[in-house]
Amino acid sequence: MKTDSLKLRRVLAITSVIFLFALAISPAKNYFREYRSIQEHFRKLGTSRARSLKEAQAYQNHPVAINQIWMRDFDNRVDRCTTCHQGVSDATMAKAPEPHRQHPSTAHTPSDIERMGCTSCHNGEGLATVRADAHGTTADSASPLTPLVNIEAGCGRCHTTDVVPQAALLSRGRALITKAGCYACHSVRGHEQFRSEAPPLNSIAVKTGGEWVRQWLKDPRAMDPNSTMPNFQLEPQQIEELANYLFSRPVKLELAAAIAAASAEAPGDAVNGKKVFSESRCISCHTVEGKGNGSAPELSKVASMASRGWLLAFIRDPHAFSPETRMPRYHFSDSESRDLVAYFESEFKDFGAPEGILNPLHVNQTLAEKGAKAFRSLGCFSCHDPGQGTIKEKFGPDLNGLGDKRAASLDFGRRIDLNRTLAAWTTAKLSDPRSFSAGLKMPTYGFKGDDTRAIVTALLSLGSQPVPEAFHPSPGGTPTPIPGGAIGKLVQQYRCLSCHQIGTQGGDISTAPLTFEGSKVKRDWLVNYLMVSFTIRPILEERMPIFRIPRDEAEKLADAMTSFYVNPAIPEDPFAGRPASDQNAAEGQRLFVSNGCRACHIVGASGGYYGPPLTDASSRLKPGWTFKWLKGPQAWRADVRCPNYGFTDTDALRLTAYLETLRATSAQKPSGGKK
Amino acid sequence: MNTPSLDSLGLWLRGTSVYRSIVRHGSTETNRNRSLIVFENLFLHVHPVKVREKTLRFKHTYWLGGITIVCLVVLVATGVPLMFYYHPSVPQAYQDMKELKYVVDNGIFLRNLHRWGAHLMVFGAFLHMLRVFYHGAYQPPRQFNWVVGVFLLVLTLFLSYTGYLLPWDQLAFWGVSVGTNMAREAPVIGDKLRFFLLGGNAVSENALLRFYVLHCVVLPVVLFMFLGVHIWRIRKDGGVKGPSEDAPDVFHEDEP
Amino acid sequence: MSALPPLSPVESNDPVEVPRRVALVRPDARPSIRRSSDKFVMAYPHLIIREVILFQVVVIFLTIMALIFNAPLEGIANPVETPNPAKAPWYFLGMQELLHYFPPFVAGVLIPGLVVVALAVIPYARINLTAGPLWKGSDEKKTTLAVAGVASVLVLFFGGFQCWAAAVPTAAVAGAMFMARGGSNGGRWKQAMARLTLPQWIMTWFVVLATVLTIIGTYFRGPGWSFVWPWTRMVHS
Repeated sequence: MKTDSLKLRRVLAITSVIFLFALAISPAKNYFREYRSIQEHFRKLGTSRARSLKEAQAYQNHPVAINQIWMRDFDNRVDRCTTCHQGVSDATMAKAPEPHRQHPSTAHTPSDIERMGCTSCHNGEGLATVRADAHGTTADSASPLTPLVNIEAGCGRCHTTDVVPQAALLSRGRALITKAGCYACHSVRGHEQFRSEAPPLNSIAVKTGGEWVRQWLKDPRAMDPNSTMPNFQLEPQQIEELANYLFSRPVKLELAAAIAAASAEAPGDAVNGKKVFSESRCISCHTVEGKGNGSAPELSKVASMASRGWLLAFIRDPHAFSPETRMPRYHFSDSESRDLVAYFESEFKDFGAPEGILNPLHVNQTLAEKGAKAFRSLGCFSCHDPGQGTIKEKFGPDLNGLGDKRAASLDFGRRIDLNRTLAAWTTAKLSDPRSFSAGLKMPTYGFKGDDTRAIVTALLSLGSQPVPEAFHPSPGGTPTPIPGGAIGKLVQQYRCLSCHQIGTQGGDISTAPLTFEGSKVKRDWLVNYLMVSFTIRPILEERMPIFRIPRDEAEKLADAMTSFYVNPAIPEDPFAGRPASDQNAAEGQRLFVSNGCRACHIVGASGGYYGPPLTDASSRLKPGWTFKWLKGPQAWRADVRCPNYGFTDTDALRLTAYLETLRATSAQKPSGGKK
Repeated sequence: MNTPSLDSLGLWLRGTSVYRSIVRHGSTETNRNRSLIVFENLFLHVHPVKVREKTLRFKHTYWLGGITIVCLVVLVATGVPLMFYYHPSVPQAYQDMKELKYVVDNGIFLRNLHRWGAHLMVFGAFLHMLRVFYHGAYQPPRQFNWVVGVFLLVLTLFLSYTGYLLPWDQLAFWGVSVGTNMAREAPVIGDKLRFFLLGGNAVSENALLRFYVLHCVVLPVVLFMFLGVHIWRIRKDGGVKGPSEDAPDVFHEDEP
Repeated sequence: MSALPPLSPVESNDPVEVPRRVALVRPDARPSIRRSSDKFVMAYPHLIIREVILFQVVVIFLTIMALIFNAPLEGIANPVETPNPAKAPWYFLGMQELLHYFPPFVAGVLIPGLVVVALAVIPYARINLTAGPLWKGSDEKKTTLAVAGVASVLVLFFGGFQCWAAAVPTAAVAGAMFMARGGSNGGRWKQAMARLTLPQWIMTWFVVLATVLTIIGTYFRGPGWSFVWPWTRMVHS
């Protein structure tokens, strides 16, 4: 009995020791938390980098504690990132090793750190004080850190417009998404109204031949490197079915009539056609053997793609064929368009093409019916309007909130080679969408390198959280409306938006947005320019085409520009009623020379040609606009290369006065198209 | 440990009038003092002064009831500090889980202990019930204590289930949604019962508040009442009963 | 008897007024009082120190668990985003597994209700108190018929609902019941099985069923409550 009791007490002694030890582990772990040693290290580093005794003491006395930023605008979120990243707004820590390094200066840092915290741009788990959790390195992390290469995705969380100043990659990604037509299949907030510019396939049977359609379906890019149509990796059987279906589709009556009439016309003069082609600056959008802008189809084989009648009818009225096309309607005379097509037929031919490439296909009804099914099941209708009523439901998955998806919720399928991160998944989805599993429908776009990175950045910016109230775009930032009525028709006809931006809409072929064109240029200059548009910046490949706009139309457009597209922030007269000559123009000239403006701008007989010549700036530009430009060229467009010299108001006025009083010593002759 | 100084310190301590006023029995190991230890102490006096030696054997009970009670003690000890950091509101409840993990000293340890303690308690209670059944320990005179035990098991499940919602994460929300959808299938009162449980027609902040009150106040009070009866009845029914091949106990004559 | 005076209770603590009473009992009418030969030990230290050790061991075990494994915490509750599958806590997964086969009323209310009631009435069902081992002292033919009959009805019932997770264990337990027949001279396991009474067999059946269903529900169910192997990655869509 006694021994039993003794044994029991011995066991109790052992378990008591283990018990106390086990209970002490967690407090010990708690005491040695990661952030404490990081803060310790920060103190030492700060002390060693301090420039004064006082500063060193401040670092020494820095308490060890959890630091946090309260983000009132972001749903009262809390970011504790600064617990470890203590040096984010500390100039002493410039280029220090991470995690102590100072944050590089951006539009929002250091000014907005206290308001926006860290996770509003970088993502990550703001509440966490443990590195792995804060950075979200596990696949089931709810909010992993956005990779630095895609960091502009953070900008896009609040800046939802297509073009975001100072976020070139994001803007490029969004432009690429629009260009590739992703919104046709995927819904994204703000792009519900997107219409693909793919042709509606309403005149295939009279446009081209069966063999051409087969080759095109097999690999569109092989036929036209500028094509936005992706490769669907179709089986030969599917190609045959689809081709039969397309040729079984009825041709719109008025198109058929126009094509029939056009093909009956006499052939034109190819030599004159060549002249018209270069004068009209077609390659500002199209390419010929790769030369040109590349945002419209390659033309070097166009005569082997479409019949003569179709080409002629299309050039005369492209919008009747394809309401969404970016091609403007030119004022060609009947003979000019005949000459153009004659030029195409003489030179723009695929001489290696099979004989009957334009022979129509004899439709097999069974195959056509199968093709109709394939047309639906492959989602072709998303881009090519089949004319059977609009489709309400998007063919592909909704992309809203993609940027906040957990990696663990993504289907990696066969791609076991990938890192389990959202960025890796999205990148692979873009570059090789069919590699995840069999039966996936997304076609291959063949995005490469930087393009993929830009698109991934744009996709990661699609967060699930709404933009915080305080960061909603101000009413002034709403897209500038395109006027309706006669002016709207003209803007439509000349497709101004294909190249120019107006507000948040429009293409980026032109470097000159029209949003504030009325505040920028003088009306009379604009009228002349619209009628015969001469080269402003000779270094650019893309030039304004010569539409042959009649004077009355040009005047209407110019009037509309000067009344609609003005910015109240740009003064009409910066000299406040006094003549420009009252300013110290001589000092302005000195500034012009001393700041090296000549490197890019021609004045008189000499100067660089990167920027526009300024000799006759006074006839083109309004002085108020020149003044504002000098105060900050990047406010105009983010990618403007003209440096911001940080001129004072006085200096900017003097420069403006100098340019305004410059008399054209040798008036520049309006030059024709690209030679 | 047994250094002379420590021993003398212990002796001095036991001699002080304060110690004597708290502990009224002597410290020498006599059977009288051993008896006094048990019945002079509020917490120990549920024990008899003497127990059958065979009931101490591991295979007699596998200590399963004991494990369950230890879990309960751990759950109360960790649950109360957890209540200091918890707000039964949306979305604060979920944020509090993060605060526990990232800011509160030993917070994640407390939560883990509470979580695993709860799982072990449910599991221990199940095994305890099976042990009692296979040992035939529900037979007279212990019928009523078995019924009390079944109630305790159901209460334990409810406690665990109500606690399951409190972190307000996806796991909690959908676990409770699935469970309460089953309750809806009860005839006649199903929908009303679910409404009563959730304080609404879906799992919401009201449900969180109800589950919180049930988990922290109502169910523990009821559980402790039943547990008191359960333990008291063990003593009254003649101590724990082991494998059924033991002869049935005679419980009046041998009460020590 | 009639000669006895009427009973008058005496309320006094004086030992002189309340005499000890002695009863004489005839040897053949003596109530059977069995004295237990059990050995008794003092609760302190033998029981109480063991209890303290138990406490410490359980707390040590839980502490180690708590240090190694973090309690799960997923994203914040989102009524719009249903995880696939949405699972109840583990102790309800057996029930949720049943839900897959039976109408919700049966799986969610009837069966659990019956289980709780059945558990509560166990000590009051006469059969438990008197029952000996299943195959001992009863008509073997009758038992065989009854076991086979009930088992095949149950298997057919579960099979009818395609509930193989219940039908197979039921059949297995019935098989074990037959294997226990005459097992008293077999190996250790067989002997143990032969000693089981009918209620114990029923409980065994219940435990096996509950365990199998819970394990399947916990580890073998994926999106849409489809069967998956536990080692295939769970992919939520």
